[in-house]
Amino acid sequence: MGKPGSTFSESWHRIADLKVSLRPTVKGRRQVFRGELWHVLSDSFNNTFFRLRPEAWDFISRLRPDRTVEAVWEEALQRNPDMAPGQEDVLQLLTQLYYANLLYFKNPADSAMLFERYRKRRQREIKSKLLGIMFMRFPLFDPDRILKKNLFLIKLIFGIPGAFVWLAVVAAAVKCAVEQFDMVTRQAEGILSPDNLFLLYVAMVIVKTLHELGHAMACRRFGGEVHVMGVMLLIFTPLPYMDATSSWSFRNRWQRALVGGAGMITEIFLAGLATFVWANTGAGTLHSLAYNVMFIASVSTLIFNGNPLLRFDGYYILSDLLDIPNLSTRAIQHLRHIAEKYLLGYRESTSPAQSSRESFWLAVFGILSGIYRVIVFCGIILFVADKFLLAGMLMALLCIFAWGVVPVFRLIQYLASSPRLAKTRLRAVSVCIFISGMIFFFMALFPMPNRFRAPGLLEAVQYVRVVNHAPGYVKTMLVRSGTLVEKGTALIEMTDRELDIEIERANAQKKEARALQMRAMSRAVEDLKPIKKRFETITARLADLARQKQELIVRARQAGVWVAPPASELERKWLPKGFVLGEIVGSRNFRFSSVVSQDDAADLFVDRIHTAQVRLYGQEGCDIAVENFEIVPYQHDKLPSAALGWLGGGEVAVSMSDDTGLKTSEPFFLIFADVKPNPDVLFFHGRSGKIRFSMDNEPLVVQWGRSIRQLLQKRYHI
Amino acid sequence: MNLPTNDFRRTWVMTPEEFHKGLDGVLHAAVGWYRRRSLVLRKIMHDACRISSASEDLRGISNRDLSKQVREMRALFRRNKKDCRQMVPGALAILVEAAHRTLGLRPFTVQIAGALSLHRGYLAEMATGEGKSLTACLPAILAAWTGRPCHILTVNDYLTKRDAVEMKPLYTFCGVSAGCVAATMDPDERRLNYDKGVVYTTSKELVADFLRDRLIMGSLHDPTRRLIRHMLFKDRNNNEGLVMRGLDTAIVDEADSVLIDEAVTPLIISQARENKLFTQVYGTAGRIAKKMAPGIDYTADLKYKEIILKKNALIRIEAEAKKLPGIWRNPARSEELIKQALAAREFYRRDEQYVIQDGHIVIVDEFTGRLMPDRTWRQGFHQAVEAKENLELSNPSETMARRSFQQFFRLFRHLSGMTGTGREAAGEFWRIYGLSVVKIPTNRPCIRKQFPDRVFGSVDQKWTAVMDEIVRIHRTGRPILVGTRNVFASEKLAKMLHAEKLEFNLLNAVHHEEEAGIVRVAGEEGRITISTNMAGRGTDIKLHGKVAEIGGLHVIATERHESGRIDRQLFGRSARQGDPGSAQAFISMEDELIRRFVPKVFQKQLKTVMEKKIPGTAFFAGRALSHAQRAAQHLAFTQRKSVLRMDTWLEEALSFSGPNNL
Repeated sequence: MGKPGSTFSESWHRIADLKVSLRPTVKGRRQVFRGELWHVLSDSFNNTFFRLRPEAWDFISRLRPDRTVEAVWEEALQRNPDMAPGQEDVLQLLTQLYYANLLYFKNPADSAMLFERYRKRRQREIKSKLLGIMFMRFPLFDPDRILKKNLFLIKLIFGIPGAFVWLAVVAAAVKCAVEQFDMVTRQAEGILSPDNLFLLYVAMVIVKTLHELGHAMACRRFGGEVHVMGVMLLIFTPLPYMDATSSWSFRNRWQRALVGGAGMITEIFLAGLATFVWANTGAGTLHSLAYNVMFIASVSTLIFNGNPLLRFDGYYILSDLLDIPNLSTRAIQHLRHIAEKYLLGYRESTSPAQSSRESFWLAVFGILSGIYRVIVFCGIILFVADKFLLAGMLMALLCIFAWGVVPVFRLIQYLASSPRLAKTRLRAVSVCIFISGMIFFFMALFPMPNRFRAPGLLEAVQYVRVVNHAPGYVKTMLVRSGTLVEKGTALIEMTDRELDIEIERANAQKKEARALQMRAMSRAVEDLKPIKKRFETITARLADLARQKQELIVRARQAGVWVAPPASELERKWLPKGFVLGEIVGSRNFRFSSVVSQDDAADLFVDRIHTAQVRLYGQEGCDIAVENFEIVPYQHDKLPSAALGWLGGGEVAVSMSDDTGLKTSEPFFLIFADVKPNPDVLFFHGRSGKIRFSMDNEPLVVQWGRSIRQLLQKRYHI
Repeated sequence: MNLPTNDFRRTWVMTPEEFHKGLDGVLHAAVGWYRRRSLVLRKIMHDACRISSASEDLRGISNRDLSKQVREMRALFRRNKKDCRQMVPGALAILVEAAHRTLGLRPFTVQIAGALSLHRGYLAEMATGEGKSLTACLPAILAAWTGRPCHILTVNDYLTKRDAVEMKPLYTFCGVSAGCVAATMDPDERRLNYDKGVVYTTSKELVADFLRDRLIMGSLHDPTRRLIRHMLFKDRNNNEGLVMRGLDTAIVDEADSVLIDEAVTPLIISQARENKLFTQVYGTAGRIAKKMAPGIDYTADLKYKEIILKKNALIRIEAEAKKLPGIWRNPARSEELIKQALAAREFYRRDEQYVIQDGHIVIVDEFTGRLMPDRTWRQGFHQAVEAKENLELSNPSETMARRSFQQFFRLFRHLSGMTGTGREAAGEFWRIYGLSVVKIPTNRPCIRKQFPDRVFGSVDQKWTAVMDEIVRIHRTGRPILVGTRNVFASEKLAKMLHAEKLEFNLLNAVHHEEEAGIVRVAGEEGRITISTNMAGRGTDIKLHGKVAEIGGLHVIATERHESGRIDRQLFGRSARQGDPGSAQAFISMEDELIRRFVPKVFQKQLKTVMEKKIPGTAFFAGRALSHAQRAAQHLAFTQRKSVLRMDTWLEEALSFSGPNNL
């Protein structure tokens, strides 16, 4: 109730002579929240609850149908003058109890008003039903009797034996799942594929039914009544639900938390059982179903139900454990209070928190859930926008409206006309203007570092391709790939039998020519000249063949590292002339060739980049300075290495129809950056990494604006 | 004879329509705009012209024939025939002629138009001095003819009595009895007057009597219940002690004052009850508060009339409370008591908000400047003021019934009103009361000379200037009316005039016996009249002799009010009905209005600038003043809104306590 109201009220006469009391069905009991004593009123008739401070309870408990409110108040004032509630407090209290339907009154009420109130409540109910059309509920039956009958069983399940069984099953299942982890992950990829959706839904119904049953049983276990079980249409998907609100009156918060967690506990147990089924069946419906159950009952449960930032089970458990009911609303109220009190100067603002610890939790929860909500919604919007452009845009517009325009409008309205700010309006308005001015200044004027990154790989500047100048079969690889070779070192030996035969034939021809020469010298001198010519030709040819033979031994043309495919790949293979056998890579100078997407390319050409740095994968801690870089001013669509593309595990999108993994799906620009040697980093040809370009500092608004425009253009071709 | 229907009507009230919220509210406002369109006025003026010319035809007929026609009309209205509406112009024409013969005043066309718009349920905006009293008579007679109770509400007792007496010949001629109810009357007198066909009274009396009647009736206020009881126990008188005949038609004169300005605080009927405990407590609170000093222990927020206690004051209170009875031990309660005592000291001054007569506090009404005996502030506060003045503490009063004016006036079946200044609140009139404003043109153009405000840095400079001005104008022989805001100021000015050996009449809450006499001579040559708000609304100062030739009445306002409307009402005392006249306001930067509603920083700046007499200061001062008035109006508006919201909430929240018959 916060601070006490004034002692006298001008409306006191309206209630002074009333004879009211609590309804006979209302029970009150003591309960400690956050170390503070409260009295919780509960009406088992209609499951309503209300909590009171001890002073208020002291007053309320003395109300009787045969005494007037005035008499009770005067008595309270006499008996306990320092703590007795003021008239205004009593008025507030009685109206609240009346609204909670906990009040019995004897005199004729204002029936017209009662009907009016009833009509309003009905209207509200219908309205909330329409608004909650995404969460429509149909109560079906009352499970309380069945639960009561099986109370023995329930006590066994939610007891020590049950806990042991649970632990054993879950532990075994975890072991089983870990052993077959690759199978688990592989199957997870297809979980949302259309042919699995039906199974997924079936699994969901099974899991959620048991989940709700878990709540109900746990609630019954500790004595709470569960009267409603039914079907809820969650976004038009029928799912079971049950009503365990009676657990709210449990005195022990751990019991309350356990009821809240019972659903998840059940699900995880179920997931354990499903794991065994899945592991021990071959592919088939049962197998897939078991997998789906596994998935829903573990992953999705922990992500959604277990998350305290969403308003599912985890939220209620957290609220029970912290002993702060209505965590989320009160967190918002608390943040508002902080803003009002410290920023806007509204001194009378009161926090909903009753202790400093509570206010701490409220503040933390409020901020985290706010951030979380923004992230989740942005994610959902991007996801939807990917599938349905129009729907995504509409959702984004709605979100901007709901989270941007409406709050700003409300803020302005609040600043302009809220009676709370009446006294400090000037301050409130100036603080708001100042803060928004600062934010604007910071974002629109204050230059912030502006960088972009591009993937790429290290290349040696000097490297030569080693090709065979003569065709032939590879005989042996003389030097292993990766060895440092001197200039002229023989790398590969090739054979060519035809060449050998040719040489033999040429040798024979040479001999023949020599013999002919000898004979001509003795017999016909006139023939000598042509024979000599022929001899020369043959000699030349022989020399040529010898050279060819020589070339079958492939040598290093420069010093460096011999890089070649494995020997087994080449040996005994016939290679035509000019085949690239491998590379000799210089070990001194390297450059980093990077792939810059079109989005970022604009920055490249306007010459605003002033520095760039390279970081290699595996050694992210070491910055490698870049001396200068050079942009190849035309678009490429073939990557310098497949390692940069998707097929090679890189991040550049490549065309799926291309086996080499080199052809990109979008054209890009190549940038060669000369890297400075760095003693800490080993330079290897082909080592991949990222280059970071730093541009002139620019305000955030400008940067973000460009990114959003690019995102829209790229995603939606607008 | 007590007919069942009469008894039924005695307590039957209309169930007011709910307030429109959200889009409904926007639509409702739009309807209001439509109802205010100029075509409405043109139609009314057209009808009024026809009635006026029709009444000319009646000039020739004999008194006997005229009264015969009156009787016929009255019988028709009494039977409440369906074609009643078509008879209205004819009836009004007869009344115009009757007024001429009985009062010697022939309603002008604009007055007829006013009467028509009142009859049709509009709020007629008629300039000051256009003869609103006579205008109200005509529709009142029409309403009284139907036999239903008709109330004409004005702002003060003086006006109720004056109008009831002045208009009596007309009422008598038309076969309607007229009475007036004033604060000083006892229940029997009241009953007698309420039984009359047309009742002149003030809104406060009417609401109070309404509440008192309901208190007497208790749960029997439900008309059906009463009727059944009446039939069951024929011999038992169920109406013992009731004074009113019920609510049906109300014509509110000075509607802006009654429906807007005074609606800031709800009306409360209370009863003193001995409570030694609390009487003591208030005395103690007063004692503790006396030891506290402003600035050190607390600060006072002038604008919101709030006390903010400082830390050392809180410590002191706690220390004191330890020695006191248990009720002091609740820190919030003891703070509340001390704050109340301090507020009584800081914001309530003798001869401004109250006067002391025979050892009792008598409240001075803020808007009419009149004494309100038998009225007390809310529980505890009255005692706090008494403690401050070292008077014997009276018994704390307990609220017995409470109703806001906003709620009350919505209970009338037929509500209409007149005012000289209504347009600026047109939106509120429509939203709360469903009244749309019609601006009736003036009969003769107003030739009042309104001189620009004269602004001074300090109060003393202002008073000297006022004195000089009085002397200057007095020499010309023109009568002067000086308006002051409170009793204290009027007495002060009286002393100054006395020192100058000037003759004057003083009209304020303390000197109010000769009110009628003072007003009667205020228009004489060379007359100086000092008055609080008492000579505001409704006071008709008639010019004597050659006064009109030398320039008519001059009005000096010595301070501006929170609402510009009240200022204009005061200025409107001069130049009435086409007479010449002039008005001017004297303002200082130390006036309450400026101190309360202009931010402190600007106050200082303004004062220094004023003292240096830098050119253009008048402009800035004017700005500051209009800002202050706007801020005051806004504050009052939010207060009215919160009163209404509170009432609506209570109505719903307390529905278990039975219907709000109080």
